[in-house]
Amino acid sequence: MRSSPYSAMPVRTLRAAVVLALAAGAVTVAPVAHARPAAPTVSVAADAPAAKPYMGWSSWSMQSSKYPGLNPDGDYSYLTEANVTRQTDALAAKLKKYGYEYVNIDAGWWRDNAWKPEYDQYARQKADPKRFPHGMKAVADHIHAKGLKAGIYLPAGLEKEAFDDGRAPIRNTDGCTTADIVYSDLRTTNGWDSSYKLDFSRPCTQKYIDSQAQLIADWGYDFLKLDGVGPGSGKSGDQYDNVADVAAWHQAITATGRPIHLELSWSLDIGHAADWQKYSQGWRIDTDVECYCNTLASWENSVDDRWDDVPAWTRHAGPGGWNDLDSLDVGNGEMDGLTKAERQSYATLWAIAKSPLYTGDDLTRLDSYGLSLLTNKEVIAVDQGDTPPAHPITPSDPQQVWAAKNPDGSYTVALFNLADRPASVSAPWATLGFTGRAGVRDLWNHENLGSFKDRITEALPAHGSRLFTVTPHGSALDLTAHEAEASSNTLAGNASVADCSACSGAKKVGNLYLGGKLTFNDIVVPKSGTYQVRIAYVSGDARSAVVSANGGAGASHKFPSTGDWGTVGAVTVPLTLKAGSNTITFDSGNGYAPDIDRIDVPKSS
Amino acid sequence: MHTDPSHLPRRDLLALAATTGVALAGLPAFTAHATPERPDDTNSPSHMSSSRDTLWWQAPADDDSMIEQGLPVGNGRLGALASNDPGRELLLVTDATLWTGNLNDTLDADGQFPYDRDNFGSFTLLGKLTVDLPDHDLGAVSGYRRTLDLARGVVTTSYVRSGVTYQRQIFASRPDDVIVLHFTQSGGGRYTGTVTLEGTHGEGTHGEGTAVAFGAAFANGLKYGAAVTAHGTGGRVTVGGSRIDFAGCKDLTVVLSGGTDYAPDAAKGFRDPSLDPEQLARTKVRDAAAHSADTLLRTHVADHSALFGQFDLALGTSSDGQRSLDTWERIKARTETGDPDPELEAAYVQFGRYLMISGSRGSLPLGLQGLWLDGNDPAWMGDYHTDINIQMNYWMADRAGLSSCFDALTDYCLAQLPSWTDLTRRLFNDSRNRYRNSSGKNAGWTIAISTNPYGGGGWWWHPAGNAWLCNSLWEHYEYTRSRAHLEKIYPLLKGACEFWEARLLTTTLPGSSREVLIADSDWSPEQGPLDAKGITYAQELVWALFGNFCTAATELRCDNSAAARISGLRKRLYLPQVSPKTGWLEEWMSPDNLGETTHRHLSPLVGLFPGDRIRPDGSTPDDIVAGATALLTARGMNSFGWANAWRSLCWARLKDADKAYQLFVNNLRPSTDGSNGTAPNLFDIYELGPGDGAFQIDANFGTPAAVVEMLLYSRPGHLELLPALPDAWAKSGSVRGAGARGGFVVDLSWRDGKPTEVRIRSVGGRTTTVAHGGTSRSVTLRPGASVTLRDFAR
Repeated sequence: MRSSPYSAMPVRTLRAAVVLALAAGAVTVAPVAHARPAAPTVSVAADAPAAKPYMGWSSWSMQSSKYPGLNPDGDYSYLTEANVTRQTDALAAKLKKYGYEYVNIDAGWWRDNAWKPEYDQYARQKADPKRFPHGMKAVADHIHAKGLKAGIYLPAGLEKEAFDDGRAPIRNTDGCTTADIVYSDLRTTNGWDSSYKLDFSRPCTQKYIDSQAQLIADWGYDFLKLDGVGPGSGKSGDQYDNVADVAAWHQAITATGRPIHLELSWSLDIGHAADWQKYSQGWRIDTDVECYCNTLASWENSVDDRWDDVPAWTRHAGPGGWNDLDSLDVGNGEMDGLTKAERQSYATLWAIAKSPLYTGDDLTRLDSYGLSLLTNKEVIAVDQGDTPPAHPITPSDPQQVWAAKNPDGSYTVALFNLADRPASVSAPWATLGFTGRAGVRDLWNHENLGSFKDRITEALPAHGSRLFTVTPHGSALDLTAHEAEASSNTLAGNASVADCSACSGAKKVGNLYLGGKLTFNDIVVPKSGTYQVRIAYVSGDARSAVVSANGGAGASHKFPSTGDWGTVGAVTVPLTLKAGSNTITFDSGNGYAPDIDRIDVPKSS
Repeated sequence: MHTDPSHLPRRDLLALAATTGVALAGLPAFTAHATPERPDDTNSPSHMSSSRDTLWWQAPADDDSMIEQGLPVGNGRLGALASNDPGRELLLVTDATLWTGNLNDTLDADGQFPYDRDNFGSFTLLGKLTVDLPDHDLGAVSGYRRTLDLARGVVTTSYVRSGVTYQRQIFASRPDDVIVLHFTQSGGGRYTGTVTLEGTHGEGTHGEGTAVAFGAAFANGLKYGAAVTAHGTGGRVTVGGSRIDFAGCKDLTVVLSGGTDYAPDAAKGFRDPSLDPEQLARTKVRDAAAHSADTLLRTHVADHSALFGQFDLALGTSSDGQRSLDTWERIKARTETGDPDPELEAAYVQFGRYLMISGSRGSLPLGLQGLWLDGNDPAWMGDYHTDINIQMNYWMADRAGLSSCFDALTDYCLAQLPSWTDLTRRLFNDSRNRYRNSSGKNAGWTIAISTNPYGGGGWWWHPAGNAWLCNSLWEHYEYTRSRAHLEKIYPLLKGACEFWEARLLTTTLPGSSREVLIADSDWSPEQGPLDAKGITYAQELVWALFGNFCTAATELRCDNSAAARISGLRKRLYLPQVSPKTGWLEEWMSPDNLGETTHRHLSPLVGLFPGDRIRPDGSTPDDIVAGATALLTARGMNSFGWANAWRSLCWARLKDADKAYQLFVNNLRPSTDGSNGTAPNLFDIYELGPGDGAFQIDANFGTPAAVVEMLLYSRPGHLELLPALPDAWAKSGSVRGAGARGGFVVDLSWRDGKPTEVRIRSVGGRTTTVAHGGTSRSVTLRPGASVTLRDFAR
């Protein structure tokens, strides 16, 4: 497909432009609605790397599962040439036409079933002859023959077993050995401490990475998952800072002349988002989605964590680099360990977050519902289309609404019920910033539901979801802003006004903890009713506050993390207000509440 | 006289019912029913009720949330919780008599009763009915809505799937003795799916003819069975194996029935051996299925609405915003905003009435969960708790126009009495029983804290339980003035008095020469010392029992000498004093607080409510009223379900409208993850532990009773209008059909906190004063006559 050697330069420039645009968006917040990044409008050439989240299959979910029969020769023994070939053929037959193209070999390809590794003479990982009797190139060739792309996997650092007492030579060097690329104290690194940390101040170290990159390029791989990368992977501190490794990989891949997608894993540190954006095409934001149990995944183990963990990352996703939510294991209910509702919600979040869509299912055994989830073209288009990732527009309560404003003026709207029992979930149009009527298309069911006034409400099963495109026919909502720092407000406890460059008025109210309280006085509305009040806030982690009007008990809401303490986010909460003057209170109660920038109250209910 | 119709062959029984028109309402068993009276088409209440009597939701239940989200239906005996999931309608079906256990007459080593699911027994599920519609997965439908029409007794679910509007109605018919599910659609839709009936005790279901059914028996010999049939139009319905398949049906009607061979007759071991429950269930579904679903619906609605319509309540007007919310949103908003929602608050009362109509007619009375279960291990066996819970279940019946629903409690007590008497005679004075009569004498009957339907008790002996049950039965007489009821309960009262005659001890009060009678060793429910003599709870209840017995004997003109003797004992009964230490009415004969200050039970306040020895009207010494008030204050405002309801009733008696109302509001708090409060389906939930809530129906009846008590106080000869009307309801409102002790029914309207019009009808009462504020009127009426008074507002 790609005829010319791939150049990294234009891409880096492009990404820089996007980052700049986002940053500019963040500082020019005036109406809160704009505090969220505007949809990236920069169009990315279709053959640019990661112009869209990648789609495909990964071996790890089945490797890591104790589902009967998957790993008959011991844990992680699933990974073999035969199995990869079988999945490749199934992917080509069933899913390729929907955009799935990567077949990714995960950890262990160089290790036997006892996890004993093989290395070549240059300390580079080498195919385990039992798993891959024809070597790694043969697998890639088969994948390519099916019109698909091949992915491979490596851990960060120099694996301890490859060190070979420091004697193993480094390819294309003047006598360097493994002793010359690590620290003299043999400090370990990566999420498992399974490697010695590479010392990139030493001249041969880059050569080692170059040699690895060249090897996988020579085999024909199109994708590399670099795993155990820190800060992240459960580690922090200098010893586990692998930014230099990632930069070296970026350089090495570029040098091969082969376009190889670099994906980073796992639970990458959001504080280094700019580094990950600079050097890679995707980063796992969370721990493994797999449960390491008798199924591939389970709702409570970590699928449900994603709703809390994604929002902080949302603004970092865009063409060139995406938030990776991990495998999409929704293809076979019994094997996945999930209900139908959970599988749909899983796929919905992945799509609206614009995560890569790679399934870890046994593609030879997809059930009909799973196939319908993985091949829904309207949902895939949400993930792959020229639209921004969605963001929660209501608090992270058990019932949530997520939305993204699309370039054509419509909204992608997802309803979620994360509670353990059925519930109705409502998306009032006011939370999207408009009033009146709107057309609603149900993407999962391929159905126009008609025109709805003021809101749409649907019944959702436990852990259920709906996914809509909402096309407004009404008018923009008129809001009145009330700054948290206004002198007419009442602060209680330790609450205090603080500077905040990203905030409107450059100030916010913080220190809302352990009884700290902020009350907006004299919020005047023309008539009694329920108002969707928008709350602009700053919170480096997810925090809760009780929001009430006029001294009522109110309701506790969990505000999603905005990613750091310098970024403003916004969610909308319904409050019942009376005609005339009202008070609105944020009470930290026994916990810690977010900092409040300001609230925007609609001029009509 | 109460005739036991089970002596008659069934054919004669049917003939009797048909010729006399006597419904077999008093027959607590699964038996052949009389031919239903069918309303004619032109005169049927087929339309929807007004919105204020209709609850609605925008989400269904699922298998795991039935107790919080399932909607209850019931015909007084046969009940179900319905999930209303479009793709999988699930009904958890119950029969009030489907109990494990037995007489349970082998005491434990401590002389108390075993309390387990094998010997004492447990209320359990009859079966699970599912109607699977694979194309109607919840994720594929839109506009989902379901309603519970309290006035008609119908659950309706509707939704849109691919442009077709589907609707299903579910109701439990008493006249036809079946549960009906009627599936319809408009827009060219078709129903394809499966009906499955399963037991929950390992029974095998089998198809035969047009129905699938099962029948089995428990280890205790109780036989039971259930059957379901289905018919549709435009498609195919086939009975195969253990299920019914249907395909391409324009509409579908599913009819279910079931029951047991339980009989309310201790002499027969609580069984009717002539009954074959499975066969009877097959007959009932076949007979009902011969009628159209519309006919079955009309018949049911006529029956249900006749009872429901005997009472009406308006507490004010809610806002348009409140009205726009579904019932669960409204429950949450009530707490979040703190704003009164008068229509919701009235609907909560009507929901309690709906539960009573659905759960207490012609079979066993309502236990801890009424007729509704989500499994076979309900908390506390779903049993009859006699130290508050069963009494509270029936506080509402007479107050809220459902006197006939009270009969299930009366019939239960009567049927159990021979066994209770036998157990008391044989076991109460067991030397191991710490509560035995130290006098060595033994007579009459009493019960345990828990009772089952087989004459057995569970947990510990509860000596004063007999008195409290009798006092409840007596109050029903005060409301209804039914001579037949008085005759029925008289043996219960008499036996209870005999028990106490044998049990009371004479003691001399310290520091005086005054001799008094006190109750022997007992436990003030369910706290403090286990062996306290003269507990206030027993003293008050026995004092009331003795008084009631004497009145009964006088009215029945019998047992003169016994009445005189009991009257004499009553005068010598010790009554509680106020502790000089705490200022509280004493719970034990001690100035010390020997229990938990905020304990859930208000046992020492039974004389304030439900009794009325303690009255804040000058007739009770001020220090006693003050002591009761101080104790009630100390018990606090922040308990749960039934404990809040009881507190509310007590504050209503003390005319503290704010506190009475606040406790009502506390019970409306939304229950989330099992916390104390009201679940989405309005069931009251008691938090057993973090994340673990149990349904306890008593608050669903006790809380409405408190609402009525705030509006109308009554005792024989005296009515007080709006004794504790909260500000939230003061602007305007009305109650119609409220029962009043003394034998009256009251319709009352008010405005700006004052009565504007009151109509008093006699259902047997003759003379009463009617008071409000400083105004009092005397009214004399013939039974059946009524009078309207309008001059209280001045």
